[in-house]
Amino acid sequence: MFTWKLLPFAVAIIFIAPIIIVFSSLFGTYSDTWNHLIEFVLVDYVSTSIFLVIGVSIGVLTIGVFTAYAVTNYNFFGKKFFEWALILPLAIPPYILAYTFTGLFDANGDANVFVRLLFNLENNFVLFPSVRNITGAIIVFSFTLYPYVYLVTRSAFLNQSSSIKESGRLLGLGQVGVFSKISLPLARPAFIAGLMLVIMETLSDFGAVDHFAVQTFTTGIFRTWYGLYDLNTAMQLSSLLLMIIFLFYFLERFSREGVNYTNDNSTFKTSKEINLKGVKSGLVSFFCFLPIFIGFILPIIELIIWALDARVTLFNEKFIMSSFNTITLGILTGVLCAFLAFVINFSIRYTKNNFLGKLSSFLSIGYAIPGLILAVGITRFLVFADRNIFSDLDFVITGSLVGLVLAYIIKSYALANSSIESGYERISNSIDNSARLLGARGSILLGKVHFPLMKTSFLTAILLVTSEVVKELPATLILRPFNFDTLAVVTYTYAAEERMYQAAMPSLAIVLIGIVPLIFLSKMIRSSRLAET
Amino acid sequence: MKKVFSIILISVLTQGLIAKEVNVYTSRHYDSDDALYQEFTNETGIKVNIISGKGSALLERLKFEGTNSPADIFFTVDAGNLWKVQKEGLFQPIKSTKVLSKVPINFRGPNNEWTAVAKRSRVFFYNPKKVSADEIKNISYESLANDNWRDRIVIRSSNNMYNQSLVASLIAKNGEKETEAWARALVRNLARKPQGNDRAQIMAVANGEADLAVANSYYIGIMLSGNAGIDQLNAAKKVKMTFPNQKTSGAHVNISGAGILKNAPNPENANLFMEFLLSDKVQEIMVKKSYEYPIADVPLSSEMASLGVDFKEDNSSVKRFGELNPAAIKLMDRAGWK
Repeated sequence: MFTWKLLPFAVAIIFIAPIIIVFSSLFGTYSDTWNHLIEFVLVDYVSTSIFLVIGVSIGVLTIGVFTAYAVTNYNFFGKKFFEWALILPLAIPPYILAYTFTGLFDANGDANVFVRLLFNLENNFVLFPSVRNITGAIIVFSFTLYPYVYLVTRSAFLNQSSSIKESGRLLGLGQVGVFSKISLPLARPAFIAGLMLVIMETLSDFGAVDHFAVQTFTTGIFRTWYGLYDLNTAMQLSSLLLMIIFLFYFLERFSREGVNYTNDNSTFKTSKEINLKGVKSGLVSFFCFLPIFIGFILPIIELIIWALDARVTLFNEKFIMSSFNTITLGILTGVLCAFLAFVINFSIRYTKNNFLGKLSSFLSIGYAIPGLILAVGITRFLVFADRNIFSDLDFVITGSLVGLVLAYIIKSYALANSSIESGYERISNSIDNSARLLGARGSILLGKVHFPLMKTSFLTAILLVTSEVVKELPATLILRPFNFDTLAVVTYTYAAEERMYQAAMPSLAIVLIGIVPLIFLSKMIRSSRLAET
Repeated sequence: MKKVFSIILISVLTQGLIAKEVNVYTSRHYDSDDALYQEFTNETGIKVNIISGKGSALLERLKFEGTNSPADIFFTVDAGNLWKVQKEGLFQPIKSTKVLSKVPINFRGPNNEWTAVAKRSRVFFYNPKKVSADEIKNISYESLANDNWRDRIVIRSSNNMYNQSLVASLIAKNGEKETEAWARALVRNLARKPQGNDRAQIMAVANGEADLAVANSYYIGIMLSGNAGIDQLNAAKKVKMTFPNQKTSGAHVNISGAGILKNAPNPENANLFMEFLLSDKVQEIMVKKSYEYPIADVPLSSEMASLGVDFKEDNSSVKRFGELNPAAIKLMDRAGWK
């Protein structure tokens, strides 16, 4: 029992240390940069961020919940396809969608040129409005991040017993009533959890908002660091951002406390899908196709246009090496992260230790730390470790892959945790009790009883983390060892110079590698459906 | 954890195997640089190890690595970045006469901590159909504040360090108060909210969205070379380039530069690398591939030569850009330059 209290605690401390280092800036001195920030820009940063978060929240909830409900409860044209294809935009990082959007919709972008050619219009005719603004940013985040809401909401809808909906029907509710009064409230914890991930990712993003010249809190952090040369104030700003997110996180947890949304297994009945025909079927198909088109097909088309335009060798050594690095790191981190989340969640369950639960939540906010600031925390931590722990040994961990892997784990622990946590919610406590009566303790319970039941969640965790690592950019830029490029780094170096035609190939590779875990995920979604019917 | 440790072990072991190397932290990420590093290895047998990233992020890494830092060379664009490293006392003076003899004193650190490797100028690109010869004659950075430019100018965001250095140089020249009034007027004269990079500004002029763009000189070279695609080549042909302040203080010039770090584990190799960067051969490659202006006396690329060979440079030292950078940012914030 004691090891299960101590082990995850010790591991978690290592992972929390860099976050603590960022937070410790709050107890340092406050420079007069603050006066300038408060007087001239802070209000702007904060209001833009709030506006962005509200816009993106409405966007992802509308798209994610609508599509999840449609594919779970209705039968319509292309439904089987939409069921898995709706998660494809997850393979497109927001910054790549932003790059392709400007390539398409700028005054002389490919979409505008296409419209001109199609209708034989004048050279200065511009159909699409500029995307380089906050509306553009809201669209980009909504269409790349809604799958987080879709994924969890869909599995929540799948787990809703039809008997409860039938009761609603009997009490006189129509289709809309069943959705708004029964299904939606029951799925609330799921889509709020998905929404939290989306909000965290939106707030910590730098690439997309920077490209659109939208000044958010995060771009303000970097401006303070790079331009005003004031890293300490930048870290204080990051800490504030983290505290706000932390507050959200606990409010969400608190609102869920004591409410049990699980079904009693014995009375569970799968829902019958309602067949849609004609116009209705077509309309639902259209609305399910739209997010896939905007968030996946359109950017791929633009990337292919660029790749074809490039007159340089695309399959060079740099490209192959960076692909290899990206894949290796993705899988390695995925496994480590899933394992960590599994052990920590097991310990929480096994020892019923509340403090560990809080620790796990704290680790989850790592997802919201802007990558570069996290990198600063990690560099300081590694240097500290080198000086104090490894000083007698003949190697240094600063500048090695350790820092990078640590950054990825902190950044994506939330993804692994959400998957493992919901997996554990589905394992009844009675199983533990029976196992323990039969003498299974600690590692036996973990390995022989829980693991086989959790295989799907474990794999989901690995896949989610891998697809996230493949996309990660800012922390990779600063923490990577010598001569170590990932695809995201190569993409960035070209895109920073707006050499999009050269950035196209590595971008496409990021998308392709990101799709592989998603295909596995879709398969699991489908098979979970089959197993139930 | 086993896996992690085996990876560390492997990376540590392989690092030890290659004795002749030079470790470079760079914020330049041009493809042409990769070819340069390869050339250095071919010539000397010394392997070049690279970490690229944003200037400030690399500086932070240097600071915290301290005496453990594996870095030999810091190579960057913008004098401000070099100044920051110098201020932290992380450079050692460059002693090689092969280097010092080629670089004018205003393009070096106060005690030769760093030296320029190439130059670029921040110039104007305009649409000759919409801008009169009168307007272009005697044009200066200062005159962009005049009312005849209302809604006609494009320039990128104040997040960009090229703009920060330009404003810093204006503060050094005209004082903070006057420069702030100038920035306010410039913001009024913008055709659109600042967005995109320098190339996007030139494209905006070519497409008729604006009449004049402020951008770095070398972008037009890359666009004219045709390597950036047919759209950019066509756009580049539609605009003309002009050097501002030719009758007065001269056009704003910034540098790409490098220095040897104090704790460099391979100081001899680092010195060779610096000499290599300033050799005529490399200067010529840089001119031809990245379209910068050389420090050594070598001919310009044909693309850049076609836009003017001799121009008056602002001779005020690039040393002050870094020092005035925070003031420049705050000034742009106050002026509402997004």
